[in-house]
Amino acid sequence: MEPDYKAPWNAGGLERGVGAGFVIGGNRIMTNAHVVANSRYLTVERDGDPNKYPAKVQFVANDCDLAVITVPAPDFFKNMVPLQFGGIPALESTVSAYGYPIGGERMSVTTGIVSRVDFQLYTHSSVDQHLAIQISAQINPGNSGGPVMQDSKVVGVAFQGYSGDVAQGVAYMIPTPVIKRFLQDISNGHYDEYPDLAITYAKLQNPAQRRFLGLKDDDRGVLLSSVTGTGPADGILYPGDVLLAIDGHPIASDANVELDGERAQFEEVVERKFKGDSVKIDILRNKRPMTVEIKLFKPWPFSILGHSYDVRPRYVLYGGLLFQPLNLDMLEAYRTADLRVRHFFEYFVQDQLYLQHPDVIVLANILPDPINTYLAPYRGGIVDEVNGKKVRTLDELANAFAESPEQLVIRMIGDGPPLVLNRSQVEAARERIKTRYNVLKEQNLEEQPAPKETEQANKI
Amino acid sequence: MIRNSLIAFGLVLFTVGGALAKKEPAVPSVLSKQKQLALVRVNVTGQSYDYFRPWQKKAPFSKRALGAVLSKGRVLVTADLVANQNYVELERAESGAKTAATVEVIDYEANLALLQPADKTFLDGITPLEIAPDTVAGDRLAAWQLEPTGALLATEGLVTTVQMMPYPIDVGEFLTYRISIPMQYRENSYTVPLVKKNKLAGLLLRYDSRSQLLDAIPAPVITHFLKDAESQNYRGFPSAGFSFFPTRDPALREFAGEKAKNAGGVYVTNVEPDTPAMKAGLQVGDIVTAVANNEIDQNGNYVDRLYGKIEFTNLLTAHAYAGDVVPFRIERNGKPMQLNVTLEHRDTKDYVSPPYNLDQPPRYYVLGGLIFQELSRQYLKEWGPNWQREAPQRLVYLDHFQSELFPDRNRRVVILSQVLPANSTIGYDELSYLTVTKVNGKEIKSLDDLAEAVKHPVEGFIKVETEEDPKQIELDAAQVAGEAQDLQDNYGISALHRLN
Repeated sequence: MEPDYKAPWNAGGLERGVGAGFVIGGNRIMTNAHVVANSRYLTVERDGDPNKYPAKVQFVANDCDLAVITVPAPDFFKNMVPLQFGGIPALESTVSAYGYPIGGERMSVTTGIVSRVDFQLYTHSSVDQHLAIQISAQINPGNSGGPVMQDSKVVGVAFQGYSGDVAQGVAYMIPTPVIKRFLQDISNGHYDEYPDLAITYAKLQNPAQRRFLGLKDDDRGVLLSSVTGTGPADGILYPGDVLLAIDGHPIASDANVELDGERAQFEEVVERKFKGDSVKIDILRNKRPMTVEIKLFKPWPFSILGHSYDVRPRYVLYGGLLFQPLNLDMLEAYRTADLRVRHFFEYFVQDQLYLQHPDVIVLANILPDPINTYLAPYRGGIVDEVNGKKVRTLDELANAFAESPEQLVIRMIGDGPPLVLNRSQVEAARERIKTRYNVLKEQNLEEQPAPKETEQANKI
Repeated sequence: MIRNSLIAFGLVLFTVGGALAKKEPAVPSVLSKQKQLALVRVNVTGQSYDYFRPWQKKAPFSKRALGAVLSKGRVLVTADLVANQNYVELERAESGAKTAATVEVIDYEANLALLQPADKTFLDGITPLEIAPDTVAGDRLAAWQLEPTGALLATEGLVTTVQMMPYPIDVGEFLTYRISIPMQYRENSYTVPLVKKNKLAGLLLRYDSRSQLLDAIPAPVITHFLKDAESQNYRGFPSAGFSFFPTRDPALREFAGEKAKNAGGVYVTNVEPDTPAMKAGLQVGDIVTAVANNEIDQNGNYVDRLYGKIEFTNLLTAHAYAGDVVPFRIERNGKPMQLNVTLEHRDTKDYVSPPYNLDQPPRYYVLGGLIFQELSRQYLKEWGPNWQREAPQRLVYLDHFQSELFPDRNRRVVILSQVLPANSTIGYDELSYLTVTKVNGKEIKSLDDLAEAVKHPVEGFIKVETEEDPKQIELDAAQVAGEAQDLQDNYGISALHRLN
């Protein structure tokens, strides 16, 4: 069920999808997060078995597009041998992808070769980058979550590709380092997500700049450009620091380190770690060498930039005015072209806009009613303050609406006019608006997980 | 209305054969008796500056158009036609005789220019066009074009509305006639006069061949331009410098202290510093109820003698001149007051990001392969008709919200626009469109600041700081100086900077 960001009080539209999965140890099935995300009812089928078995999502990792599901039916896993994982396959070696492309009852197998191993954007969240392996095997919708095999071992999970008009013969699989990291993360019964340093840096290839920073001509070090406030490196690293080594691995001036004999971007060292782990970084600050230790966690400001799953949209409806916090899903739902709103989205992290506006609250829509009939020009505005008080979060907005003054003066960012509401009129219109637009609930402040019906379904 | 400058720029485009008139165009009968049409051909060769290579001009363009012959040997054309011209030539339609011409006065904002032939006898025998000042909606106007033979091609159209609209150079709005007319393509259809009973009623501003709608610069704007052009110093159309919003919303009226239910007026949302409105004491939250003794309604319209309801900004553009004192009746917290606003023309140099820069070379500074420029809308328009979507979005944002982001106004935004690969810029060659904050520790608010700051390297290094990543760039001052000649030769840069 896809949440409806334009009518966030509704449950959302029903959709049906098919993917693939494979059995791993512990009577579990591995598949892609995007196969099971937002699911309300899930069944699995076994090749050669006419039954559909109700299944349950155990863990879902939207940041690396992996999920583990279980099947309560006791005999489902009977006579099934879990697949084993291999390593990173060599370039040009042949792999086979298994799945149910464009649906179908029978399993389909395609083969191809390993074309490239590199960092890629994982489009399920649209914000996370991890290692991915490009293969030339045909992969289509329905292959998602299926295993890619080599020498009878799983070397990847098929997950994304290009549509035919962009590029052909380019498909991607999630490689085993990412899969193994996921399985290790959930081994404590909880998925903690990837931690991140939340920094930006520049390569240090200019000789004059190297001399200015007091560096030797040894092709080492990258220049720290920015540190995300409230992130793990906040207050530990500073713009202008030169990062020389990470956990003892020297960082080259093009930001690569050598890991297990392979060159990889130095972030890969952090990629392999878990929430609560630490990373040691050797730096040069004002030409003096130092070592700092950073305890890792997932920084929050990036979350608005990616897709969310299995959450209900947050919103406040007041006087027919629908206020919603800015995020990727909301932006896509409204296809907003507003320059200011797009700027707040684009530069939310880089310009540290999150410090003033942890929620960028947009007057996203107006449900027409006599009390708001002249307010259409305010649509698309970003709320700055109510009755002279800065509003930083949706909760603060809801509180401001709940307070007592009769007149509510809402200031938007920029030099537009104030939006003025009279409380008694809004109150008088509440039921009318709720009834006319079939609004079940006037606000949702928590991204609480959508209730699931799977328990009940199991009994059927 | 909230100031809304996100408008599509209409180009003057004609499609061949796309416009078939259902009936013969009605040509006024007097016309056939007139022997010498008050029309000349205008041939223009020009070159625009290349903002991506600011030391050079682009390849020459040529345009063929028409000019309307006015009294005193003057020829009226659109500013579009002659902007960035190198050479302008007038051509008699019936004989093909030619002479060079000079641009006497040009107003890019109102899109009008006056030409004068080098040969003073060139226009002899032509009866100049008078101005028809009184066109209203419902009138029929004829668009005058020329056949290749020099014969007149007249097409009749209906004035559907007269209203305030943005012009191609988007500074404020001007009075505009909108005309429904099936125009035909002729190679010289650039400046097309619109004629009412053999008098000039307007000039073509833009034409959309699909909807067959033509927008015209109306006679009142032309008259204003001509009157201003007669003075020694052309001043340009005035502006007041504030933005406003309708007061239809009763809650907003109540908030602004306005008690009468049916009173008119607009709510002042913003007053820009150093503008006539601010000097006169206008404040955010005031309600402007009358301008030049014309009552304004809740939507911002006054009742015009000719047109009926039309936006009051017409009183501040077509009806007033820079230097005029215009009385504003306002209500502040419910109390009536009068303010006297002395109108001024706002010059492009009074913007942080100037809205246009034509017939002027762009300023730039090349430092060891780094190219620095000042942000302007002219620069952004280099991305083409869809520049608002295609130009770097951060720069579009800075331009669009400039009055809000830079309230002191008295500055420019210096950008590191691109990097030419050179020894001094190894590792920097992928940088572009960065806004510069400091150079050698000095704050940068113009290219002049930058030119001064680079003269003072710190321990042999020039340090450039930017708002965006990578935040800092260093150059070796001696290397930059040593490499300068090679850089100029290699990339064909005539001069490393232009600051005038």
